[in-house]
Order: sequence, then C-alpha cells, then structure tokens
Amino acid sequence: MTKVWHIIKNEYTKHVFQKRFLLSLLSLPGLVVLMVGVGLLVALLSIDSSPVGYIDHSGVLSDPIPLEEESSIFEPTIEFRPFNDEQQARQALEQEEIQAYYILPEDYPQTLDVDLVFTEAPGSEVQEQFDQFVKQNLDSYQALDPQIKERLEEGSVITISSLDGSREMRQDQWYTIFTPFVAGIMFFVVVMTSGGYLLQAVVEEKENRTMEILVTSVTPSQLMTGKIIGNIGVGLTQLVIWILFGWIGLFVAGLFIPEVQNISISGEYLGVLFLVLLPSFVMVAAIMAAIGATMTETKEAQQISSLFSLPMMIPYYMASVIIENPNSPLAVGLSYFPITAPITILMRMAFTVIPAWQIAINIAILVVFATLAIWFAGRAFRLGMLRYGKKLSIKEVLRKQV
Amino acid sequence: MSIIEVSNISKRFGEVKAVDNLSFEVHPGEIFGLLGPNGAGKTTSIRMILDIFEPDSGQIEILGGPMNEEKKNQIGYLPEERGLYQEIPLERCLTFLATLKGMDEHDASKKLKDYLERFDLFQYRNAKVKELSKGMQQKAQLITTLVHDPEIVIIDEPFTALDPVNTEMVKDMLEQKRDEGKAIIMSTHQMNQVEELCDRILLIDHGHRVLYGTLQEIQQGFASRDIMVTPLSNLPDRIEGVREILKMNGRFRLVLDETSQPNRILRNLINSGVELMEFEIAVPPLNEIFIKVVKERDEA
Repeated sequence: MTKVWHIIKNEYTKHVFQKRFLLSLLSLPGLVVLMVGVGLLVALLSIDSSPVGYIDHSGVLSDPIPLEEESSIFEPTIEFRPFNDEQQARQALEQEEIQAYYILPEDYPQTLDVDLVFTEAPGSEVQEQFDQFVKQNLDSYQALDPQIKERLEEGSVITISSLDGSREMRQDQWYTIFTPFVAGIMFFVVVMTSGGYLLQAVVEEKENRTMEILVTSVTPSQLMTGKIIGNIGVGLTQLVIWILFGWIGLFVAGLFIPEVQNISISGEYLGVLFLVLLPSFVMVAAIMAAIGATMTETKEAQQISSLFSLPMMIPYYMASVIIENPNSPLAVGLSYFPITAPITILMRMAFTVIPAWQIAINIAILVVFATLAIWFAGRAFRLGMLRYGKKLSIKEVLRKQV
Repeated sequence: MSIIEVSNISKRFGEVKAVDNLSFEVHPGEIFGLLGPNGAGKTTSIRMILDIFEPDSGQIEILGGPMNEEKKNQIGYLPEERGLYQEIPLERCLTFLATLKGMDEHDASKKLKDYLERFDLFQYRNAKVKELSKGMQQKAQLITTLVHDPEIVIIDEPFTALDPVNTEMVKDMLEQKRDEGKAIIMSTHQMNQVEELCDRILLIDHGHRVLYGTLQEIQQGFASRDIMVTPLSNLPDRIEGVREILKMNGRFRLVLDETSQPNRILRNLINSGVELMEFEIAVPPLNEIFIKVVKERDEA
C-alpha cells in the first residue's frame, strides 16, 4: 500500500508543481476574466450619457421633480432637458447636443403613449430613467397603493412546478440552464487534461525506459492504481481551484449585480453530480492509461485519445433535442451509454426529474465500465509495457495470456 | 545453497524460441557472468527471473521460492535500456525509485546522499536528469540499482558509458558487494571485464546453454598445449620438445610436441642459459573462446 501511496505522490507532484499545470490552471479563469472584461468594455463604450430632450404637451412635466439616481459607470444619470417646441428639440438633436427627445402628447395621462425621436437608438438606460422620471411626476401613478406600485415595478416572475411538487423552475433562475453546460465543460476539460497527463506519463515511461525499473519494483496493478488516483488528484485540484475562482467571481459579481446573490445549487444535484462524475473520471483515466500502454509514441497516443473526446461531446451537439425533450428515448439512451453518460445526465437533470432508478442504473453502469476499464488497462499494461516500437492490438489485449 | 535456481525454462515469442530449456544456478557471494551473442536470450532470461515475463515452461526459484512482491525489494536491476524520469530533479527521481523498493523516504535520502557523494553526483542532485551527461545518468541508474542494498543485483552492460576511472570504481563496488555475500548477475559483451570480475559464467546461444562453470574450468577446457614466454635474452632457434616458436608482440608462443611437458621445457630453457621474465601455460582469452564457440555452433 505504501508503494501505491508513493506512486500517487510522485504522479501528483510531478504534474502539479510544473509550470504548464499552473498555466492550464490559470487559462480558464483567465479566459473568463478576459471575456467578461471585453464584454464590459464594449458595454461601457456603447453607453451614451449625453442629455435627452423632451417636449411636454400634457403638463405632467411642467414643474418636474428631478430624477435622483445614483450615478455609476454603467448607469450614468442622464439629464432630461425640456424644450418648448419640436423645432428647437430637432435642432438640438441635429447639433448633437442631445441624443434623442421624447414627445408627450396632450392626452398622455390617458393613453400613456409617447413618441421618441432619435438618430441612433438610445440604450435601455435612457428608457428606464425616462420611465422613472415620468412615473414620479405622474399624479395618477403616485396615487396608487404602494403594494400595487411595488408589484408593478418588480414585474412578473413565472414559476413552473412539476405535478408532484418535487421540482420547480423560476424565470429568474436563469443559471439553472447554464449549470449543466458549465459543469459539463469543466468536467470535460479536467478529465481530458488529467487523462492526457496520464497518457503522456505512461507513454513517456515506455519511451524513456523507466518502465523496466518500475515493473521490477511494483505490480502492474499497483502502478496502475497509483497513477490513476494520482492523476485524478491532479484533475480534482484543478476543479477545486476553478470552483474557488468561480465562487470568488460570483461573490465579486454579487457586489455589483444583486441577482447573482440568489444563485444556489441544490445539494441533491451536487450529490448526483459527484456520483456520476467520479466513475466517469476513473473510466476515462483508465482508458487513457490503456491507450498509453498500447501505443509507442506520445503523438500517436494523443491522436487516438481524441477519438474518445469527440463522442463525449455528443450530448452538446444534440443539446437542443435533449433540452426540449429530456425524457426522449435518445436522451435516455445517451445517458446509459458510458462515454456520453456524464454530460447527458447533467443536462437532463437540469430540465427534468430523472427517476431515481434510472440514476441508480446510470451510476451502476458507469461503475461497471470504470472497473472494466481498469481491468483492461491492467492487461494492456502488463502486455504492452515492454513493447518498444510495436503497437499492441485490442485483440491481443483481450485474448493473450498475461 | 543457490539464491537463484533456474530449471528448464523456455520462452517463445511467436515463431521464435528465445529461451530453450535453460537451467543454471547463482550463488550468494559470486559475480555470475551471463554471456552470449546479440539475440541469444540473455535479456529474456533476465526478464523471466524478474517476473516481467512468465516462462512458457520450467521453474524459477528466487531466495528459496517463487518470486513475490516482498522479494522484489531484494533485487536491484540495471536494465540494458537505461531509464530515469527526465523532467524531475535527480535526487527526487532517485528517492522515488528507492521508495518503490520499500525504503522509507528518510532512509532513502540518507543513503542516497552517501551514494551521490561516492559517485561524484552530489552537486548535481537538484539538476534535472535530462541535464546530466550520459555517464552521469548511468551512475545515477547504478545508484538506483544498489541503494536499497539488495541481495541480488542484476546488471546489464554496467560499464558502457563509463570512463576508466568510473569503471574502476564500479568494479570495486561490485567486488565489495560480492564480498558482502550478495549475488551479482552481470550480462556484458566486454570479455576483459568478465575475466577480471566473474567467478562463474554461463554462455547462451539461441536460447541454449553452451558453456557453464567457473571461469577457470572453462578456460582450461579450451587450453591448448602452448606456452607463453617473455625472455630477457634471445631464445635459441630450436628448443627440445618444442615443435614451433611463434613471435607475438615481444612474447613468444611455444607450440609443444605431442609428448613434451611444460616443466621439461622450462628446464631446457634454463639449461640453455635463457633468462626468463615470464613463463605461463597459454590459456585462451575468453573472447577467443566466445567467438570460437558461437562460430562453431553457427556453422553446425
């Protein structure tokens, strides 16, 4: 057992304390920060805080209470400038003194219709602030019951519940849709990188002939177990650090965007996630190790391993079908097939209630396949470990006496 | 008592019979030479002893029984194809490999320090393995073979990348291990090293045992009726009992008559006033025996 522990430790430290691991660790959050940064920059550049004019024929704004809003970078307070007639307003618009102007007709209090004149459509912040500005000066609105006013201002939230009440989905829980995608992509990236490390480690040990020393010190299954656990450790480290980054990101975002604070993911979802992803992780790792043991060159092994990464992504290609009908035979079938199972299950869970027996079968299938993959990898290892320059065929692995 | 007992092992790879009904024993406290031309089955035999391959038939007993995990810790192996982790620092690489032989990390690093100093590698302990020269890597690999103080040492071509100074040091070390009672199997093509170090040898060819025994027995078996002499004065043109005199690099090879005995020739030489620096029965060098045996078998 101590030997397995030494292998785990060596495998883990060999990768984690490398520059390239740090790079791959920072690449995803870096990319996210970059994308958010670019998005914010674009948003910032598109904000026009120049004044907006209005011509009031209705008298609602004859002696207006000015809008008192806190100004921020993303929501600057816009000045609303009164004009006596349309001609003056149009002139100001043409000279770019104002970005647009509103016309409130005489019968505004009855119709609540306004006209907006612009050369380039103003942003939503202009609409919202003018809306607010008019509302606070409209007597009929101010006379409303405060509760009704509050309801009106908050708008509607539609909640859909399943018949048995076990699930509900609210309009403002938009993140439920993103969770399976984000979790799936993280799982995929982590599995492929740590699987890639494992693959590389095995092929390298064959290439640099460390293998002979290793197999005369430990059994192939000890070596295999140590390597798989070590590399899963590397993957989990990556995952935990990313989740931590995500958490910090959400926390920071929550300071600016209050809606983000409401994000919560159920413990049940996380529990099933863990039970599904762990055996999938082991299975992919073992497959990678088996490929490493049968191939003779890193390059070739990487090409073969990409054959496994493509089918893993199939659920994404069929995302619209799965989301629309998460209990269709296709979706259920994909969640039984071990390679496509992890991502399909994540997706279905977000959009439907998967019966407990189905989840149990899914997990059982994954555990069986993970065990088979380890067994297969062990055999491939024992047969292929000292083959230099000659590939091992799947037939040989299955048939040959070890 | 033997520490390794190989009985009638055979191994076939497809159509090729790599090892064919091979038997031998290795004793504690000896350096055992495993010799043979390329492709004779030496590495396959070693791998079967190490339990990397299982023989198709026959039996191997290590330390009094079949190989098990515990016994793997009692074996040090220097494979012909050298291999260490290239990307990690030397000391970490050696410590890891030592722990796989059952040493705890503390003991391993203590013993490694001694070995690194002895092999002049201490100053490179933090360098990545790939930054070391070939000779240094070979010394590092020898450390991996010996650091856990194994009862059985199996080394394949231990001298290839070493300079004369390091070759001497490794030879001394192997002799020291032998004196401590360890069993050493050495596979090499350098016959002079075999002559200097090995107590017993096994020569295999095409998987068969060709020669097996102490070095002395084998050489005597191939000894001719010749005498090598190095005179300080001129040799007479004719010596009684000598059929032919051949000059070889300042030495002379005397080919004896059918009936004459070496001590009679010595007496004749001294009686005829020749001063001698050297007088010895010509024993064929192992190299010659090797070539002769392998060639004869090939022709047959």
